[in-house]
Amino acid sequence: MLDFFTIFSKGGIVLWCFQGAGVSESFTGPVNALIRSVILQERGGNNSFTHEALSLKYKLDNEFELIFVVGFQKILTLTYVDKFIDDVQLHFRDRYKNELEQKGALKLLNNTFDFEDRFKKLLREAEETSKARSPVPMRSFKESEKSQKTVKSMIETKGGDKSKEQGGKKNKNTKKEGKRRGCLYFNCILFIMMIFTTRSKSPKPPKPKGKVNRVWDNGGSSTKNLDYSNKNGETSLGEDQKNLEAQFDPVSSPWPEPSGGFGGMFGMLKGLVGSKSLSREDMEPVLEKMRDHLIAKNVAADISSQLCESVAKKLEGKVMGTFTTVASTVKQALQDSLVQILQPKRRVDILRDVMEAQSQRRPFVITFCGVNGVGKSTNLAKISYWLIENGFSVLIAACDTFRAGAVEQLRTHQRRLNSLHPPEKHGGRPVVQLYEKGYGKDAAGIAMEAIAYARNQAFDVVLVDTAGRMQDNAPLMTALAKLIAVNMPDLVLFVGEALVGNEAVDQLVKFNQALADHSMSDKPRLIDGIVLTKFDTIDDKVGAAISMTYITGQPIVFVGTGQTYNDLRSLNARAVVGALMKA
Amino acid sequence: MTKNPWEPYIESLRQQLEEQDPVVLVGVIVALAVVVITCVFLKYFLTSKTVRSAVLLVGLCDSGKTLLFIRLLSGKFKRTQTSITDSSAPYKAKNDRNCTWTLIDLPGHDSLRSQYLEKFKSAAKAIVFVVDSAIFQKEVRDVAEFLYMLLTDPVVYRIAPTLLVVCNKQDVAMAKSAKLIQQQLEKELNTLRVTRSAALSAQDGSVGGSVYLGKKGKDFEFSQLPMKVEFLECSARGSKGKDGDGDIESLEKSLAKL
Repeated sequence: MLDFFTIFSKGGIVLWCFQGAGVSESFTGPVNALIRSVILQERGGNNSFTHEALSLKYKLDNEFELIFVVGFQKILTLTYVDKFIDDVQLHFRDRYKNELEQKGALKLLNNTFDFEDRFKKLLREAEETSKARSPVPMRSFKESEKSQKTVKSMIETKGGDKSKEQGGKKNKNTKKEGKRRGCLYFNCILFIMMIFTTRSKSPKPPKPKGKVNRVWDNGGSSTKNLDYSNKNGETSLGEDQKNLEAQFDPVSSPWPEPSGGFGGMFGMLKGLVGSKSLSREDMEPVLEKMRDHLIAKNVAADISSQLCESVAKKLEGKVMGTFTTVASTVKQALQDSLVQILQPKRRVDILRDVMEAQSQRRPFVITFCGVNGVGKSTNLAKISYWLIENGFSVLIAACDTFRAGAVEQLRTHQRRLNSLHPPEKHGGRPVVQLYEKGYGKDAAGIAMEAIAYARNQAFDVVLVDTAGRMQDNAPLMTALAKLIAVNMPDLVLFVGEALVGNEAVDQLVKFNQALADHSMSDKPRLIDGIVLTKFDTIDDKVGAAISMTYITGQPIVFVGTGQTYNDLRSLNARAVVGALMKA
Repeated sequence: MTKNPWEPYIESLRQQLEEQDPVVLVGVIVALAVVVITCVFLKYFLTSKTVRSAVLLVGLCDSGKTLLFIRLLSGKFKRTQTSITDSSAPYKAKNDRNCTWTLIDLPGHDSLRSQYLEKFKSAAKAIVFVVDSAIFQKEVRDVAEFLYMLLTDPVVYRIAPTLLVVCNKQDVAMAKSAKLIQQQLEKELNTLRVTRSAALSAQDGSVGGSVYLGKKGKDFEFSQLPMKVEFLECSARGSKGKDGDGDIESLEKSLAKL
């Protein structure tokens, strides 16, 4: 039933593989897709992944640096797969513990892992257990619990009469078959015991209750508690102490009580020095703290939890080195994953791509999209300044036909840029030109005409400015998708501000969704890059960068750090992660 | 007989020493000896340079680094997947001197590349840059960008390890030759010098590698670099596929010459 099963090391060497009967395609492609989409993009929270017609499930073994992957057809729903992977992992580890413990790749290469018969046996067992658990036949009415109750008992009354009735009815049923009889008898016994204990208390007559003052949990009883004049210096210290304690807790957990004696002493030393493997419980408090820290730094809430989940999966079972605490290991792993997320997954070199388009005698088209007020027009002007400085000629297409003053704004930028780089110095032709058709017209049409004009006049770059729109506004999203699908720009940049918090997730998801839904082709153009603006207004709460790159998987191409033409930067992943992890 | 001016002091010192407990004396002498030995050790360790004995296998994703790693070490064929961590093993070069290098296979995926390079670049004696010759035409710009990043790294520029550019997958019919790949890379790096120096600085003010490749004013050539560069052809899979040997003699010979 399985298509394939592979066991390979994290360094890439396949130790053992199994291909199901009748399966001819190689599984290298799907497994590579799994690695690249899930493990490398830190989406390791849930362990399943679908790739075309196959459904893949995987499990990481962090102690020996192995990955176990199983693949089967998506349409089958095999219930035994999770438990099966765990069993296979345990058996493989037990059998080849000696070879796997050696550090270095030589041992892995020189050994052939003959796991075939063991695997087949496990597979047979797993399939048999799934077949044995045949679907449970429906209970008849007499067997169900509802028939046990009397009608009277189901009416709610004040006082404890209900349990008495139920117990009585339950006692009557003696004809049962199968295992349920034993269960039922056990339940009966429990009920009888309960009834006898309640019967010992005499039922009190219900007192007529007068009106009682409602007591709120957070409300105090007197205003004396609100007087903090004596405690002014103490609360801050208390908080710091609590933080220190939280940090030291993971270390102190291997410390047993002092009355443990020598055995306890050795255990403590072993926990600090020797090889201790990480478990979920050890990591939980540190991960909680890390998650809150990330949220405090403006990373979206569900992305923080997904990241922490993925880091936990990566570290589970890993053997810590000597004198390293749980907190430092987790922090280091989180830092590495954050740097990994921020590193671009493809080459980001706009100037080189523009040169390529120049050699092919066509203009390089960049489209800017985003919600209202994030800085699209400002950053468009900054990018055109940068391109002009490097000797390219730019055509700005004013496809924002809705906002009042949008066209005039771009015209002002054009005039300023032309005065900075006068046409006399650049071969008599103005380096920046504006293509506009006024207000109220169709944006996609203007964009198409602008690109055709640029091709005729041999402009190097076309920058298309679109109107800001909310991600929930369906007609406007359709219009944007149409503009992008019809004109096929070389680069679709999403402009997002660094101040945004959880909204970033919603914006990006809905933008991508709209672009995918309204495109005719089977390879829709999605967002290719992100421009992060207003970066100077956030201090070190740089979490928006992480949220945006995590959601789309696309790199941050530009960072806007101010309102003048020079305030355009590129992203330095390490600096951002440093600011993010700083306490 | 002239009186030694320090005699009274020596006398008083001797008296004081004799008054002391001998155990304390022994303790003081041992402590002094430990301090002296520690100073000697520190001096020895601080002045010795880090021994560079690593051969790094780098390249783009799917270029065949892990299979090359396996072939060099054991000569066998094994299936491979995308690596997500590095693998290292000692490698005995096939020469008379019998030197052993540490062969390190780094992952080629874009998000992991720079992290692992940071870790291992200072210990590199030679860098083996693996290129997929079959799909080189489509990937020229990515290969050149990685090579540019490698060559302009300040640490790599300072150490100047030997660069062996291995054109892998020569068993495929459409594979380009090493000479062609060299010419294309030189042209591409020439352009990249200009675009990269015009790239934006990072948001915290730091500028990228300030090393300028080659000589200003002249077209870029690999001979202008301070390190030795060699272009080789090889095929990790070999012409016979899984059963035969890989065709890696040229690489082994170059590694032996290190």
